Amino acid sequence: MIASFTYLLPGVRSRVPAAIFALVGTAVASAGGFDRAIGVATPRVVKLYGLGVGLQAGYGTGVLVSADGLVLTVSSLLIDAEDVRAVGADGTRYHAEVLYRDAARQLALLQLRPGDGAAPRAADADEVEGGGASGGRRGASRVGPLPYFDLGVGPDGRATAGVAGGCTAKLAPGDWVLAAGNPFKVADGPEPMSVAHGVFSTRTHLDARRRVKDFPYTGEVLVLDAITSNPGGEGSAVVNLEGEFVGMVGRVVISNRTHTHFNYAMPCDVLRDFLTEALRSSEGSRPPPTPTVASPASNLGIKMARTGYQKVLPFVERVRPGSPADRAGVRADDLVLSVNGRTVADLDAYDARLKALPPGRPVELVVRRGRSIVSVEVQPESP
Amino acid sequence: MMRALSQLAVSCLVVAWAVAPRALAAGPASAPDPAAADYQTLRAAQEVFRGTAQRMKPYLVRIDTVGGSQPRGALPQPDSDDAADKPKRSQNPWRESTGSDFVIADGSTTGLIYAADGYIVTSSFNFVREPVLISATLADGRRLAADLVARDQVRKIALLKVDARGLATPPWAPLTEVKIGQWAVALGLGFGGDEPAITTGIISALNRMNGNAVQTDAKLSPANYGGPLCDLQGRVVGICVPMAQRPGELAGVEMYDAGVGFAVPQHRVDEIVRVLMTGKSLYRGWLGMVVDNSVRDAVVVKNVADPSPLRAAGVVPGDTILAAAGKPVYHFGHLTQALYMLPAGEDVALHIDRNGTRFLVNVTLARNTELGPLPELNEPFDPSEPPAPPPEEEGDE
Repeated sequence: MIASFTYLLPGVRSRVPAAIFALVGTAVASAGGFDRAIGVATPRVVKLYGLGVGLQAGYGTGVLVSADGLVLTVSSLLIDAEDVRAVGADGTRYHAEVLYRDAARQLALLQLRPGDGAAPRAADADEVEGGGASGGRRGASRVGPLPYFDLGVGPDGRATAGVAGGCTAKLAPGDWVLAAGNPFKVADGPEPMSVAHGVFSTRTHLDARRRVKDFPYTGEVLVLDAITSNPGGEGSAVVNLEGEFVGMVGRVVISNRTHTHFNYAMPCDVLRDFLTEALRSSEGSRPPPTPTVASPASNLGIKMARTGYQKVLPFVERVRPGSPADRAGVRADDLVLSVNGRTVADLDAYDARLKALPPGRPVELVVRRGRSIVSVEVQPESP
Repeated sequence: MMRALSQLAVSCLVVAWAVAPRALAAGPASAPDPAAADYQTLRAAQEVFRGTAQRMKPYLVRIDTVGGSQPRGALPQPDSDDAADKPKRSQNPWRESTGSDFVIADGSTTGLIYAADGYIVTSSFNFVREPVLISATLADGRRLAADLVARDQVRKIALLKVDARGLATPPWAPLTEVKIGQWAVALGLGFGGDEPAITTGIISALNRMNGNAVQTDAKLSPANYGGPLCDLQGRVVGICVPMAQRPGELAGVEMYDAGVGFAVPQHRVDEIVRVLMTGKSLYRGWLGMVVDNSVRDAVVVKNVADPSPLRAAGVVPGDTILAAAGKPVYHFGHLTQALYMLPAGEDVALHIDRNGTRFLVNVTLARNTELGPLPELNEPFDPSEPPAPPPEEEGDE
């Protein structure tokens, strides 16, 4: 592990300003043990300034993933600004051009272009937040070389770092994590990023919403034992104690499982796949996925009990003889508890789950039958 | 924090020892380097956190509930006229409030194996919706139908029973061995995923909530209510529950993830479970009286319900309550605080002043459902009179 440090930071004992340690919460005069990870993370994130509307803050954070200024961030109204600006760790100002964005994962890839020199102070930043800032883009002019996190993806989108790609960190629940970014815009101009420490909680599927609207991404995320879900903190780099990149703080959401605000990061491998897709694509964006419209419910051969009340428990009323459900052993009066591992609280949820199933694949139903709980696998009929 | 970590490193010498040779192998940095030493301490802490989660995993139970509704009054109703929307208090002066507007989600919750013969201890928070079906999934993958044996709505503990034998039970840390400032780890299954979600912190205080809870700054939320708060030796310090200094089955949930969380320690869980195993639930205890709000700096009884524990103890309107459960009370808030974590059935000593004469009465707290209406005031007290309409005063204790 120590060897890998030296590799990441050849001969560098980074001097990290005291302000960061105040934020990390150590009261010791020494560098505190997190210094190496912070030293790796902070130069590899940029502050972003763009469009702020309603609850969307006009500022955010992005992660550098190439020496020539490719930046990963979350896809939000922020980058809809006419002139998105970025400020590097050393205070260098950039313009940021949106190369690619994905509505499903709510991720975006930006390209930094040379900016106007000095970093904007808070006053300038407020100006930018209006969205109609001046100063034209400088075409294809290049920036860098900049420090970056290597996700193992080359400029053409081809893998450069073997099967594991750049995501080599083995993260276990209980591992330290640090998030470097600009929540609440407290790091002004060239000031270094805010760093929050915490612990990696677990990896799980996201089931969340933004206010009342469901969040489109349902893939895996890293749950963090750290308050990272803050305005401006979206897009922060998350590293482990060794300074290895493990993920990026996602958009502020509320978990549907707990009804609580949810602190999470998009995992490195999800970001790497997005980056690969973005660099290979000739399109500027990918539209949200159209849900697979199928009616496998009828193909299972199950008729549910429907009474017309608002919230009805998903009870099986009848199973068509000889149907897939019949062969799998589903019986009348079974109460369906979950579909493919996802709990269905009522009949509406059951219907929604069945509609969202990929056609033709076996479906795992967990049902209550009397006092026992039974799991059955139903192979739907081909339509 | 670093001091705590250093102590941790000492207590986990084995781990530190395992890491140390690698540090030495790294090169010439064998001279004392505070930063490197801190790093090694953090590495050791990380190993301990990982290990604690793994050691506790076999005892965790995933609880899923089906059916039920949001508790009454808990759903925010932004469009309704506030005054018109409030239930008429006069309909029931002893109405229980849910204590919070928190909306309960549909996700899984967490429990902990309590006894080898299928008893699972968890938080009553997980059943506020009165589900029609509860299932418990054990760490070995067995999914079983669970019965809600009984619950303690005061300490927010619930007891489940599944048909299983020979279950492994976790080691517990008695409260006497829990120290303020020691590390604590909370585990929960509410976010889903294959591994229990871990949150970390310290023990912030002991004997909170009238001696019913230890306090921690580890993030507690619906994701781990009902799950264990553990020490770094992998022992259960307590069961994580939402709690607040006011009644209500949802009170305290609004403080989720705020760094102020509570866990019911071993001796209290044992005591509660002994009652719950008999199938008897524990509810908030009431005196059944109305306090005279026009009197400042003293708790003067304005009216006493019929029947009620206070009436049974002979307390009458005009009496002043000087102290409750050994704590002096100078206003209604003091009285609530002295009694808020005591369940119905518990005996409480009240110091009473009646026209200068001081005496002690023993009152057995009752459930709100056992309280009768308030007699009409301005009339000489006569228990044989028919119940009168309740007064406009707010009666709450």
